[in-house]
Amino acid sequence: MTTQDIQALSPAVPTSKGVLSRLSPLYGLLPLVAFLLFFFVGPLLLNLAESLGMTQAGIDFAQYRRIFADIYYLRVIAETIILGVAVTVICAIIGYPLAYAIARSSGLQKSLLIFAIVIPLLVNVVVRSFGWMVLLSGKGALNWVLSSFGLPTLSLMYHWGGVTIALVHVMLPFMVLSLASTLETLDPRLEEAAAVLGASRFATFRRIVLPLSLEGLMTGSILVFTLCVGSFVTVMLLGSTSTMVLPLLIYQQLNIASDWPFAAAMGMVLLTIVMSVLWLQARLRRTKWRAS
Amino acid sequence: MNSLPLWHRLFVAAVVIFLAAPVLIIVGVAFTSAEFVTFPPRGFSLRWFEKVLTDAQFMVPLWNSFLLGVASTATSIVLAVPAAITLVRNQVPMKDAVLAFMLSPLSLPTIILATSLLFFLARFGLGTSPVGLLIGHVIITVPYVLRTLLGVYAGIGPETEEAARTLGAGRWRTFWHVTLPMIRPGLLAGGILAFLLSFDEVAVALLLSTTDTTTLPVSLLSYLVYNYDPAVAAISTVQIVIVVVLLLILERCFGVNHLVLPSK
Repeated sequence: MTTQDIQALSPAVPTSKGVLSRLSPLYGLLPLVAFLLFFFVGPLLLNLAESLGMTQAGIDFAQYRRIFADIYYLRVIAETIILGVAVTVICAIIGYPLAYAIARSSGLQKSLLIFAIVIPLLVNVVVRSFGWMVLLSGKGALNWVLSSFGLPTLSLMYHWGGVTIALVHVMLPFMVLSLASTLETLDPRLEEAAAVLGASRFATFRRIVLPLSLEGLMTGSILVFTLCVGSFVTVMLLGSTSTMVLPLLIYQQLNIASDWPFAAAMGMVLLTIVMSVLWLQARLRRTKWRAS
Repeated sequence: MNSLPLWHRLFVAAVVIFLAAPVLIIVGVAFTSAEFVTFPPRGFSLRWFEKVLTDAQFMVPLWNSFLLGVASTATSIVLAVPAAITLVRNQVPMKDAVLAFMLSPLSLPTIILATSLLFFLARFGLGTSPVGLLIGHVIITVPYVLRTLLGVYAGIGPETEEAARTLGAGRWRTFWHVTLPMIRPGLLAGGILAFLLSFDEVAVALLLSTTDTTTLPVSLLSYLVYNYDPAVAAISTVQIVIVVVLLLILERCFGVNHLVLPSK
């Protein structure tokens, strides 16, 4: 077939209309893309420039040297990451049985369980943290219960303990919903088959259910970790000066010290932590896809 | 669930109690007649509700939060509807990348968004203007609206719209009389979700609001730093009631199960 033949067969392309008209169906994307480029990407680039001192003259890494040369800031970064990991692990352990129960229930029971998760999710973080203040403070509800049973009272507020409990409460719904949406798609007959073939409940869980729900576990864990390292309200209300995390430090540098370049640099550190975790997730997913 | 072993059912009950505890305790404390937050709560009265519902310190931020939530929702819908229609119905080059870009604000810590936006807007003299606050909230809410709309619209075939076009309806008429009614569940669910997110947002509002434009969560946060009385519990109860009512509407119109879990 010659080139002329192909040209004769293919429908005529209106040559008078250029690239613009062929792109015209994409006009619908324009408002949102423009909005995000201008108000989302723009500010992030400016934040980067600010952290490198580019708003004055030249590039310097002074702000980053300040962070990485000071043991206090390094400790805050380390403790932010440790807190994130701890909350993620606890959420996974507590959330898994609940997610499984949701996936295996139906009707009213299922709706009630979902409501039990969604309502706290929608109650403001400030309000929930206040609830934990009432529960955990020195003369709070928990100590009232403990002392009425003649048990020693606990002082969880203003320590990592109280902060961790409250953060687990804030993050748990995200973990449960991620796990439940994967477990939903899991065919119960797989477990029945394993049981019929003589596997114990634990063996079925370890060899069938857990491997097949790894996707949801990973999605939930990444979500909880990234949300956790970025949250500061709970730490602000339940913590003290000895429980400092990166986002709260950024807020203080900005609001109290008015040190914009330093706040910008710490923002970039936080962004790097979040991005590396997301990159890790994308990489794991690709490896898994190749393996299958 | 009934087939689960006893320990599992007890564990689920314990986790549900853990989830409900701080919410229930606040509602309990709000009805106390005592001067301070004490445990167990003493007496029963509505005095704290009376205080907060007549106090401008709480009512102005509540109104601000409501206005900001409505404005953010409306702006998000205006931006997300054309984008969702285009993504579903047209051959978009690098569709996955475009979608990932549009949803990327979801994975960014809001404190970074808030500080960056403050630096940026301050250059235009809009540092703490209501417009800046709206922009910040739309960046947070628009990905949720887009995702909800995509979920609904992708499940609808193009046949009805094509039929309307064949019968002579123009582009706008088709959109207004055919497309829009079909995506209404998505608009409603996405809209309520956007409103709730904006209503609850703290970081952006904390950095970009002034004493005149402060929102309810921010005013609660600053109140809590200096005070510890049942007034906060009362206004929180009001907030919880608003959220639960919206959630029940969402459940009736859309089904929360379908919204948070994939439908089988």
